[in-house]
Amino acid sequence: MSSGVGVNDDCLTQFSTLKLGKRYKYIIFALNQNNTEIVVEKTSDSQNYDDFLADLPESECRWAVYDLEFEKEDGGKRNKIVFYSWSPDTAKVKAKMVFASSKDALRRSLVGISTEIQGTDFSEVAHEVVLDKASRGA
Amino acid sequence: MVNYGGDEVSALVIDIGTSSVRAGYAGDDAPKAVIPTTFGFHRAPPDADSAMPDAADPTRSGTGKFTKMYMGQYGPSVWREGMEVTNPLTDGLVHDFEPVAALMRHAVVDVMRCNPTEHPILVTEPAWNTPANRERMAEIMFEEFQVPAFYIANTGVLNAFAAGKGSALVIDVGQTIASVTPIVDGFVLRKGLVYSSLPQLVHAHARHTLVTPTVQRRGGIDLYPHQLITNKMPVEVGAPPRYTLREDRVKGTTESWRMWYEAREVDEWSQSVAGVLEQGWNDQAAASRPPRQYEFPTGYNAWFTSERYSVGEQFFWHSPQLMASNAGLPKTIPALISESLRACDPELRQVLVGNVVLTGGGSLFAGFGDRLSSELARSFPHVKIHSPGNPVERRYGGWLGGSVLASLGTFHQLWISKEEWTEHGKAIVGQRCK
Repeated sequence: MSSGVGVNDDCLTQFSTLKLGKRYKYIIFALNQNNTEIVVEKTSDSQNYDDFLADLPESECRWAVYDLEFEKEDGGKRNKIVFYSWSPDTAKVKAKMVFASSKDALRRSLVGISTEIQGTDFSEVAHEVVLDKASRGA
Repeated sequence: MVNYGGDEVSALVIDIGTSSVRAGYAGDDAPKAVIPTTFGFHRAPPDADSAMPDAADPTRSGTGKFTKMYMGQYGPSVWREGMEVTNPLTDGLVHDFEPVAALMRHAVVDVMRCNPTEHPILVTEPAWNTPANRERMAEIMFEEFQVPAFYIANTGVLNAFAAGKGSALVIDVGQTIASVTPIVDGFVLRKGLVYSSLPQLVHAHARHTLVTPTVQRRGGIDLYPHQLITNKMPVEVGAPPRYTLREDRVKGTTESWRMWYEAREVDEWSQSVAGVLEQGWNDQAAASRPPRQYEFPTGYNAWFTSERYSVGEQFFWHSPQLMASNAGLPKTIPALISESLRACDPELRQVLVGNVVLTGGGSLFAGFGDRLSSELARSFPHVKIHSPGNPVERRYGGWLGGSVLASLGTFHQLWISKEEWTEHGKAIVGQRCK
């Protein structure tokens, strides 16, 4: 089941800039004013993971992709693109409902995501938690 | 009334459960009409009534099988001579559509004063609903109610979405059925769907606790409702009640109505007094809890101690003797959860237990959420339970999810319109509403 919300073309363009151009570290997606389309809210090249967390609002829903870079035990470098569904418990029911039911539209149009994170509070999107999940099977 | 500020679609949402039918406008935060699903009826009209036409009374309407149906607020709860009551749902599924259509009409037309031909209608269904049932529902909506558009959505998915989760383990405790539904990316994982008639067992246990004679209560407790009592005298705690029955009514009371009101008295008792211990059964802990007083309609009143906790215990634990003597015993909540997770991919299990959504009126049972989290914490490392603190959100979670979904302007394109129904027939329901 889905809400029928569409994805703005800009989302895909920005995503490929992140994926192929490697010019961004993360992108934050949101819904437009009248809940009809998914749009890019912010792009950033900040290497600091805390900056990314600071961009997730405390009581509003968002989606995000983060280009996670880590080293394997044997020293091999890996890059994984992680998809976040950010839906804090304090957000409004309406927002949670719309974001949850529209996620699929965005998620399906982004090709090359390796890991998905469903976050409801900051502990679930902490760097080590995400890293642990992404590096499994890497 | 807070309006969620959705686009103007003016859709209606109807959520049919065993205890009540919820109907309201999409975009609202609570249903406008909540009427009991149980209704009263007469097989043959009593002579006094047939003499005077009472078409003006909205709670009564005649349909084929039942000469007269009594629905809504003044439906089953009003005593009428020879009135029987029944419920058109078994195990959360509609088994008799004729009264269901009448109930929906009552909720929409008589209570909400709406014209169904002017509003798209979204109906909810449990995850174990049959294709035949949902097609029948669509047929009723289009052919009988003449709705302009229709959609049927799964309560499990709606509850997960309303909690902001695309993937979740939805634990829904209703009046007759407790179900565990794994939802992954907005779809029900069929093989992991399990349900049992656990709430009925809990109810039976509560009833047994009340009516069984004990040392303090010789003869057990009489479960007469207010409707059958003329007067009563205040009595001391634990003393035998002093009341007079309305003899004129007792004679005309049917067996089904008696069963129904007794069930209500038991439910009211469990809702006000019964509970469940947070950390599992422990005689001492149960005895150390403060007793609670409860007065029955007969005037009998008593303090209930540890027995009130043994009722809730049935949700989570059954004694080996009980299980040995009843092969078909409904599974407990922990058993349902582990069975559901066993059927799911190991990769998914961690995601699901990290996103448990607790919903349904039955989950408001005192201490239920705390006990569930302690049971889950015992078997899984990272458990997170989402349980709305607001009872309205818990009881009407499915309705609320449907309300938000149907209020979205973008949801327009997903409705099954009347034209599509006329062109494709029943097949479109299965295609569109997944």
